[in-house]
Amino acid sequence: MNKEKDVIIKVRNLKKYFPVKKGFLKRKVQYVKAVDDISFDIKRGETFGLVGESGCGKTTTGRTIIRLYDVTDGDVIFDGTNISTMKEKDLSSFRKRVQMIFQDPFASLNSRMTVGDIVGEPLDIHKLASGKERQERIYSLLKTVGLSKEHASRYPHEFSGGQRQRIGIARALAVDPDFIICDEPISALDVSIQAQVVNMLEDLQKELGLTYLFIAHDLSMVRHISDRIAVMYLGKIVEVAKSEELYKNPTHPYTKALLSAIPIPDPDVTHKRESVTLEGEVPSPINPPKGCTFRTRCKYAFETCKNKEPSMKNLGGDHTVACHLLDNKK
Amino acid sequence: MSEKILEVKNLKTSFYTHLGEVQAVRGISFSLNKGEVMGIVGESGSGKSVTSLSIMKLLQYPGEIKSGDIFFKGENIVNKKNKEMLNIRGNEIAMIFQDPMTSLNPVYTIGDQIMEVIIRHQGLSKKKAKEKAIDMLRLVGIPSPEERVSNYPYEFSGGMRQRAMAAIALSCEPDLLIADEPTTALDVTIQDQILKLMKDLKEKLDTSIILITHDLGVVADICTKIVVMYGGLVMEEGTSKDIFYNPKHPYTMGLLKSIPRLDLGEKKRLIPITGTPPDLIKPPMGCPFTARCPYAMKICSLHAPKYTKIDENHKAMCWLLHKQSPNMKMDTGVKRGVINE
Repeated sequence: MNKEKDVIIKVRNLKKYFPVKKGFLKRKVQYVKAVDDISFDIKRGETFGLVGESGCGKTTTGRTIIRLYDVTDGDVIFDGTNISTMKEKDLSSFRKRVQMIFQDPFASLNSRMTVGDIVGEPLDIHKLASGKERQERIYSLLKTVGLSKEHASRYPHEFSGGQRQRIGIARALAVDPDFIICDEPISALDVSIQAQVVNMLEDLQKELGLTYLFIAHDLSMVRHISDRIAVMYLGKIVEVAKSEELYKNPTHPYTKALLSAIPIPDPDVTHKRESVTLEGEVPSPINPPKGCTFRTRCKYAFETCKNKEPSMKNLGGDHTVACHLLDNKK
Repeated sequence: MSEKILEVKNLKTSFYTHLGEVQAVRGISFSLNKGEVMGIVGESGSGKSVTSLSIMKLLQYPGEIKSGDIFFKGENIVNKKNKEMLNIRGNEIAMIFQDPMTSLNPVYTIGDQIMEVIIRHQGLSKKKAKEKAIDMLRLVGIPSPEERVSNYPYEFSGGMRQRAMAAIALSCEPDLLIADEPTTALDVTIQDQILKLMKDLKEKLDTSIILITHDLGVVADICTKIVVMYGGLVMEEGTSKDIFYNPKHPYTMGLLKSIPRLDLGEKKRLIPITGTPPDLIKPPMGCPFTARCPYAMKICSLHAPKYTKIDENHKAMCWLLHKQSPNMKMDTGVKRGVINE
């Protein structure tokens, strides 16, 4: 098979800086480097997880890929077309194929629209269906996500968090997309409901052949749903690996710390395992540390880390890491 | 037997809304010994936060304690007037709230907010109180507390604000600390720091802690005793080993099955609890979990089951534990992780 064809989205050296404006004239004095030079590929039909602490740029990455934000620098190539330089009016055909599910099911649905209209809106915008056909499509979408057609005439406030998230998913599915960005789709839900939504996302992927970019901070859920995972820290990707590999053999000190911070629901295990506590907090992305951005919290940091930014090294088997410690070992 | 610090007996709390009476807590009982860490787990709407607010007597209109008793250090505080509660609250019982962004006053410095409690309850002078505030900030691990004490909340990050909240709560060395989802709004790495802090403080000050959370991982880490709540009732209560390794209630089993396990290699499909929690305006007649329970029987929807004692500390409310119930084969959801020593 052609390898290039297998990749649905290719991100190359993507940067997204937000200007910080100061003073009366609103001069741009500094930049928040939310996403700073990241590259990755997502293969067709896979789930690619993106994890990191709040403020590491994972949401910005998702939104930049779908062009909700303009790209500062770098390329996003979706199925052979470069999205990053596309004009706004040409984007509509791209947005028909890429959809998004948002974190907060309470804020992402218009409370004045009926569920039917919310789910039908993408159909109207892209002029995909009208009249009876539109109605049928809405009913079938609601059925796909486990709601019934009676729900179409109700308003979002009549639904629980999990049901609202289902409505959001139905809306994303309306245009029959290939690629869906799930931005923390389950963090606002209760534990017992999270599993329902995750299972549904998995089923839909199998049925419709979807590709997901799954953004979350809950590592245990990300590991469960993803095929490959990228770990982000302060606007950069520090490690990418298959999800099993990442959990069995975390290599970057940050990944190790992140994994050991996750509480395990098993008293004996959690009491006996050693944990690496990360001291301090994430530095400001306005003035990230020079060299390796993680060095301020890394207990293995040495001289080189201060001066040189580590580059991504391949450890084989799709496992890449950006850390100077790897050079030392060789 | 060690000293009981808190005993809740048949507590019922309702909210009288225009839609009707929301019976948020429908008769719960539990007790807490000195130096014990108890976890209350349950999903939103299970009544866990209302329980904590009832103990603090911080319920606001239209909420009200309908009946029941709350014994704190042997004294019933249910009928205490607000004035009397002021001497207990913050001094003997303290609380850490979920959202550190909204529970600090943005127009006072962190120091002022810690000092307020110290001056009110310990009657120290302003100067002495400030010294104590600095000590407290140091205790909770805030770097350079001498300077940080005059910062405003916006100058603190989320994790630091939660530490500042802990400093306020612990400044009068309370006997009981109630932490209502103290780490839910935080990142895992910061959550880890806060949980370590709570463990340390427990060791140092011998404070009893009630930790309210929906994260089973968090309770496994620090709690010795766990109460599982659902639909305003305690479904199961036991030591953390009982709950994790020998759950007796289908709801507890369901919770254990619905979370992915990081430490176990296998990647299995999650087993969710189907359906949604009951409406507490019209709570179901029988067991509140009936509608979502895979093992529900006819009797479950008609009569609420009584508690069955499994052993000294472990009890559960389920008809399946009745001696006349059919012997069902259940997947308890217990998976034991491998311990690497």
